[in-house]
Formats: sequence, structure tokens, C-alpha cells
Amino acid sequence: MKNKSKHRTSEEKKEKLLSLLQKQGLNIYEDLDHGKFPQFVIPSRSVNNIVYDKKLRQYILGNASAIRSARNMSQLRSYTQLAWLAFFVNRLVKEGKSSTLRDIYYSSQAFSIDFEDQPESDNIIVDLEAVTSSPREEFHIFPEERSSVFGDLTIEYTVPGYEGKRMNLSDHPDGYLIGPSLSSAELVDTSAELVIAIEKGGLFTRFVEENVHKKFKSIIVDTAGQAPRSTRNLLRRLNQEMGLPVVILADGDVYGEHIAMVIKSGSANAAHLRELTVPDAKWLGVWATDIEKYKLPTIPMTESDIKRIYDLQKDPRYQEGNWKKQLEVFLKLKRKAELEAFSKYGLTNITDKYLPAKLEESKSF
Amino acid sequence: MSKETFSQISPSEFFYRNRDLAGFSNPTRSLYTSVREFVENALDACDQKKILPDIHLSIKAVDPEQPDPKHYVLTVKDNGPGIDPKHVPHAFGTVLYGSKFGLKQARGMFGLGATMAILYGQITTNKPVTVKSCSDGKTVDEFVMLLDIQKNKPVILKHNTKEATKTGLSVSIVLEGDYSKAGLKVRDYVSQTSLITPYASITFEDPSGEKSHYPRIVKEMPPPPTIIKPHPHGVDVETIRRMIVDTHYQIPVLDDNMIGKVKKELGLQKKNLGTKDMLERAQKRWSDLSRPVRIIVSVMSFLNVDFDGLQKIRIDDIDVANKKITYWDFGQSQSHAIDLDPESPYYKQLANTVQGDTLLTFLTKRFQRIGPTTAEKFCEFAKLKPERRIGSMTNEELVRLSDALQKFDDFLSPDPSCLAPLGEEPLSKGIMKFFNPEFASVMQRSASAYSGFPFVVEMGIAYGGDIPSSGLKVYRFANRIPLLYDEGSDVVLKIVNEMDWSRYKVKGDPPLVIVSHICSTRIPYKTVGKENVADRPELERELKNALQYLARKLAVHMSRQGAADMAKKRANLYAKYVPLIAQFAAELSGKKKEPNYKQLIKMGSEFEEQV
Repeated sequence: MKNKSKHRTSEEKKEKLLSLLQKQGLNIYEDLDHGKFPQFVIPSRSVNNIVYDKKLRQYILGNASAIRSARNMSQLRSYTQLAWLAFFVNRLVKEGKSSTLRDIYYSSQAFSIDFEDQPESDNIIVDLEAVTSSPREEFHIFPEERSSVFGDLTIEYTVPGYEGKRMNLSDHPDGYLIGPSLSSAELVDTSAELVIAIEKGGLFTRFVEENVHKKFKSIIVDTAGQAPRSTRNLLRRLNQEMGLPVVILADGDVYGEHIAMVIKSGSANAAHLRELTVPDAKWLGVWATDIEKYKLPTIPMTESDIKRIYDLQKDPRYQEGNWKKQLEVFLKLKRKAELEAFSKYGLTNITDKYLPAKLEESKSF
Repeated sequence: MSKETFSQISPSEFFYRNRDLAGFSNPTRSLYTSVREFVENALDACDQKKILPDIHLSIKAVDPEQPDPKHYVLTVKDNGPGIDPKHVPHAFGTVLYGSKFGLKQARGMFGLGATMAILYGQITTNKPVTVKSCSDGKTVDEFVMLLDIQKNKPVILKHNTKEATKTGLSVSIVLEGDYSKAGLKVRDYVSQTSLITPYASITFEDPSGEKSHYPRIVKEMPPPPTIIKPHPHGVDVETIRRMIVDTHYQIPVLDDNMIGKVKKELGLQKKNLGTKDMLERAQKRWSDLSRPVRIIVSVMSFLNVDFDGLQKIRIDDIDVANKKITYWDFGQSQSHAIDLDPESPYYKQLANTVQGDTLLTFLTKRFQRIGPTTAEKFCEFAKLKPERRIGSMTNEELVRLSDALQKFDDFLSPDPSCLAPLGEEPLSKGIMKFFNPEFASVMQRSASAYSGFPFVVEMGIAYGGDIPSSGLKVYRFANRIPLLYDEGSDVVLKIVNEMDWSRYKVKGDPPLVIVSHICSTRIPYKTVGKENVADRPELERELKNALQYLARKLAVHMSRQGAADMAKKRANLYAKYVPLIAQFAAELSGKKKEPNYKQLIKMGSEFEEQV
């Protein structure tokens, strides 16, 4: 049993962010008052400035940064947009309200800040992430996509109206949406010893039905394809705060391998952010070598699958070990197998045979 | 030698049969063409006499209830010099009777159009034309007449005279037209005519009774063109033949005047003689007779006719080289050719008169810009003897002469004094008044020539102001006539479309207008419809140079405008965004009072662009 209830992680983060925003506000205020053009320093997210940090085992931004100044007429608009977003996030966080990317786009219009389209407002959100080094989830801004979690985990809400209320995540067999309130909740307590992240909702349901959470003392997380940031953040917290190892099951193809990699060491798109990775997460499968070993039914790869393999072979994280080897085997097979392929040998084959075998195997990674 | 007879149709009949050629193909086009012909004649008449034109055009339905096409009364009234009442029947009642055969720039050519319109009106409605003319400022003569198509002669139905105070001409015809379809073009034509004729006042009353008035914008007339001799590069064999006929003698017109003159010189005012007696009398007085009279007497001897007979014919050709006289017999409606007897004393008389000048004299006297030196050089080039009499030249020699005139390179370029461009100031004023633009510029190129025909290009450009932002629009004019049809294939359009406008800071659908005016003694029209100008390289070059000059002027304006716009935009941006930033910063930093940002708005607005 792990109990971290005394450690108010969410609260700490919130205070840190609010003080950062206030500091930015003060700077702007002072500049305006002294007849100076205010400016933001934004770490550059250009390809040249994204480097792989072997120590952190994730992509990070280099030292280059751009200045967005109100002095430059062509930047004045986006400067104001960024200032507005800081102001709006400040309100959201203080009032404990949550918002979506789409919401932000529309909310801006109440303040005569006009975004031309949602991609423009999404970009400004990433800018603020870079300025504050915090993911948008901490701004209470969430994407539309949601994934789920199930298992014996007790949480305590911090969202207004539910403060202090506790909930166990094994009460509802469909799992719990990893939404704003779950993301901001404190993790209180769990009996689980393992987190299994699985790529597909269908398999997630099967795992719950087959009592995988009990059989393997695990918390099951449905990543619904490429894991959203809130899900990656939850996986990290389960790993760091609750000390649970994380394993990943994804389709037996190049995309599945990369889903595991992103959970483990992040994506280039989020190079400006930390605390989204689980460096010790393990990729259980389906490996390319598993396809032959378990005689799985396969389908041929498409041209874009093959192109993706070549792209990933240039990524520094795929330069050695099993990651490199599996890419090579995929390229040799030119075929792929989905998680559902195990159903050929019975619906429970994946939970009864494959999962235990791979968990056993993983001890030696 | 056998006598041959040919049946000949009169010019009226020819045009009646081929009216499509002259723009009278259907009721819509015919109404538009008729308006054009009358208005252009009126303007030409005023130009010639340096009278500031005052034109009234009206189109009235005979029975407004009827559906189109229907009968319309078309009236055009001007304040021009009018026409001598003696000439009115011929001017409006015969085809090919005109005063525009000289070489100078005029709107219409040969004055065919007006008679064609009258002819068209007559054949579609069977109504006569009404002409009111006052040429002396005291009396106005009103003629109501029809055209005898077969005889090409006017038939006067009514003629009366009234007192008047001003000169001017009014022509009114009834014709079948379709105003519902032609209306737009007619209105465009009138308004564009006012643009290119800013010294004219034009009033148009349409069938609904609505009056559009285009007042006079400038009070000075542009200098009128002078009539000049043709340039050697600009003539073909047929023109040379006509010129030769013209030089060595004028075929005397056998009208009452001329016959009176002959009778007077022979002393026969009171009595009439037979052919033989008349010839005898002429022999006695020969040395006192004038040249036209000598010719007529000679002709009478060959044709063996008396004065009565003479009135029934028209002499078409006296061909000394081939020893033939051709004439038209009104009575028989036939053309006859008579052989000349070289032994007759009258032959020598005709030949002497008719063989005319030497080639050298012909060249220097009848063409512009040829002096004796050039003429001699030319004769050598053409391998023709300078002393050769042009009246006796054979067909082959004429063709050689014509070819050589085209090929000889040492002629000076054509004399542009026969051209009448509008001038930069009137054009500019016209454009300002017409479009009320934010920017306008005009340019007149110096004269140039293609194939012996001089031309001048004038162009104007206008931008912004009242001009709608619907893209570039081109107004084309030739010899002060708006060209409204067949825009696509026109050389001006080609030049304008070939321009890379982005180089001149013009983007998107600009509020931009180009006014192009080509003046020439002969506009190189592509089609008989005279609506689009062909792409001669010399013309293209002049148009392009004019357009580029104007586009550069526009670009300068656009840069200035751009800088001013930018400053304004800056000021607006800072005025909008800085207060917002202040509001956000105040709440973010937890301050109650907003920072003092006035200074920053001012700084932002005044700041030059810098990155």
C-alpha cells in the first residue's frame, strides 16, 4: 500500500504556475508604465532547437529562444493574444474551471482578441506552454480526446464542489475518463503493483472482464491510440508518485512501437515540456518477433507504414537495442499484426497466455 | 471590235444587299450603329469648323406598347455648320456622296454610315428621312425624302424653308430597332463618347423619356487635323490609280452647273445647237475655253451627243492608254465603253490633258515628304523613267510603281499633322470628371507610323476614388470613337493583360481604369465591324511604352499611399491592442489600477517598421 495523501502535488503545481503568471504580468505592467515595449521570451520550437537529452531520456528544447515584442507591429497581435491567454489561464486556474482547445478559440472573442481559426489559438497555447514550461493541462485546458483508467486506485478531487471527495477507480467497469477533474486529483492510495497501458478500448474492456486488474494486481489504462498528454501525465504520476512500474501493450506495427516510445520518452512536439514521460516504462509488445513466435495472423504493411519505419530509424532513440531490432524485423516482414490477432487462438488467449509470458520476459529487459 | 455591255448595280443597291457589312445585321446592332453614325457625323462636322459641339440624341418608340423589335424615331441634332441646302438631297439621299475622301483623321470614313442608316430605316419601316439644315444662320431648310435605291438618287417628298437663328443640322429617321437589347450599349456609347470628347455637351433622351446630360468639361477644342497628301508607304495600286485619274484631270461632274458653264463659255446660254454645230463653235473659241470645258467638248465629240444626251450619262473613266471611254447611261441603266479614235483631233486634246504629269512631278506634288532628290532616287530604284507621263502608264508599270513605293526605304516617316489627338490636358480633365479617381495620370506618345499611316497613342490611367474594386477595366477609343464590341481580341487588351501588374504594386481586383486612345488616318481594325484593333508591332510598341510609363507613375503613387496606409494601420493597431495588454497585465499582476500606457500608444504609432 502506498499512500501519498500528504503530498499535495497538484496544489503545489498550481501555486507555482500562478506565481509564474503573476511575475509575467508584473513585468508587462512595469514595462507599460515606464513607456517600454513589453516582450515575451519564448523558447524556440524550431526543428534546429529540438535535441534528444540522453540523461533525461526525452526530447528537450535547446537554448535558442525567440522574442515576441509589442514593439514589432507584425508581432503586436500575437503578443496581445499571448498576454490574453496568460490572463485567461490565470482566471481559469484561480477559479478552478476547465476549458477545451475549442473553448479557448471562442472565449477569446469576448475580449476582442480575434483568432483567425483554432490552429492559431492552439499555437498560442503551445507558446504559453513553452514560456511557463507547463503542459496545457495545468492551465486547465484539455483536448477533446479522452482515454480511460480502471483499477484499484483511490483519488481525492481538488476541483470546486468536489474538494476532498474520494473515489475508487475500480467501481465502474467501463473505466473512468481521464478528464480535468481526474488529472487535477491527488493520488491517494492503491493496492496495485503494476500499470498496464493498452492501445485499444476493446482490449481494455476485455482486460477488465478477464479481471486482469486482480490477476496481475494492476491498474489498466486505455491510451486510445497515441496517449494524450493527460494520460501520459497520469502514467508518469502513477510511476513517480505511487512507484508503480508501467508496461505497454500496443499493436504489432511501427505505430504501436512508437506509442510505447512516446509514453516512455515523449514526442518532439512536446519537447518544451517535462514531466510527461515514464522513462522506465516497458514495451511488452506486440513485437515484430512476436508475430512469428506466436504465429499471429498478419496483414501487409502499407507504403506509409514502411516510410514511417525509415523515418523512425533516423530517431536517436531507435539506434540501439530492442527498439532498433524490432524496426528491422518489421521492415523485413513487411507485415503487421494487431492486438486482436490473438483472438484466433481464443478470446482469452491474450490475457491467459501472451500477457503472463511477456510479463515474465520483461523482468529480464 | 465588239461593243460590250455590262449590267451594273448602283452603290445603294450594293449596300442594300450587303448591309451586314456595315453593321446593320439585326435590329439591336442596327439601332446602335445608326446612333453611332449620326453622332459621329455631328461631332466630325463641329470639329471641322472648330465649333464646340452641342449634341442632342433622342430615341422614341413610335408605339411604346409594342414589344421589341419595333419602330423607333432616332433624332440627332447638332450645332455644327449645317449643310448647304443645295447639297442636302445628295448628301443624305445618295450612297457614296461625301466630303470625307481627303486624308486626315476623322471618326467616320467616307460618310457611308449615315446614308446606310437612312437606307436601313427606309427598308425596315418605309418611312422617309427628315433633314433640317441651317448653314447660314438665317434660314433652315427642311427636307423629307426617300432614297431611290436602284438609281441611287434622292426622292424629295417635301421641302420647306423657315427662319432660323443658329446653324446646325438635325437628322431624324424611323427604323426598326430593339432598344431593350441595344440600350446598354447605346448608353455606354454615349457616356464613353463624353469621356473622349470632353469639349462636347451631349444630351441623350432614351425611349422612357429619361434624359442623361453630359456637360462640357473643357472649353478649348483640340487643334483640328489638316488634310494632307498620302505617304508613299500607305498607298496600294488602286489608290495610285485613283490618284492618277485625279491628277491628270477631274472627271467633270455633268450636273446642271457644269453644263451651264460649258454653255456659257461657248456663248450658248440662250440657244441650243446640235452636236455638229456645237463642235464647230467650240473649235473657233478653243483657245479661250477652260480645261474642264475642253474635256467635255471632246467627250461630246466622241460620244456624239448633244447637251440633252449629256445629261443622261455619267462619265466613269477616260483611259487614254487603252483608248477607251467608259460611261454610265442612266436611261438604260447600263455601262458602255466607246473606243477613242487616235486620229481625231480631240484625241490629242484628251491625251494631252489626260496623260498628265511626269512621274517626277506626280511623286513630288502628290505625296507627302518626297522632294525632287528622293523622287529621282526612287525612279532609279523602281526602274521607271522620271519623265514618263503617268497617264500613259500600263497596268504592269502601275503595279511596279506601287510595289516600289512600298519597298523603297528612303522615304521620310509620315507627317502626323493630319492627326488630331485629344491632348493630355483635356484627356486628364475628362478622366477626372468621369471617374473621380484618387489618382490619375495621362500620357501622349509622339507620333509613329505603321505601313505609311501615321498614328498617335494617348493613354490615361486612373485608380481608386469612385472606381469600384472590381478589377482592371479598359476603355478603348480609336479616333475619338468608343470601341465597345469584340474586346477580347483587341491589341490594347493584349498589352494590358501582358503587363505584370504586381511589379507596379497593383494586386487583386484593383479599382483601376485604363483609357486608351489611338489616332490614325487608318486604324488597323481587325474586322469590318471596326470594333477591335489589330496587333501591329509598331502600335504594340507605342501602347506598351505608354502603359509602362503610366504604370510607373501609379506605382509611385501606390508606394506613397502604402506608406500612409501603413502609418495609419500602425496607429490603429497600437490604439487597439495596447489598452488590452494593459488590462490583462493589471489583472495578472493583481494591480487595481491599469498602467499608464498612453505614451506607449504614441510611441507605437510613430515607430518606423523594425524587426
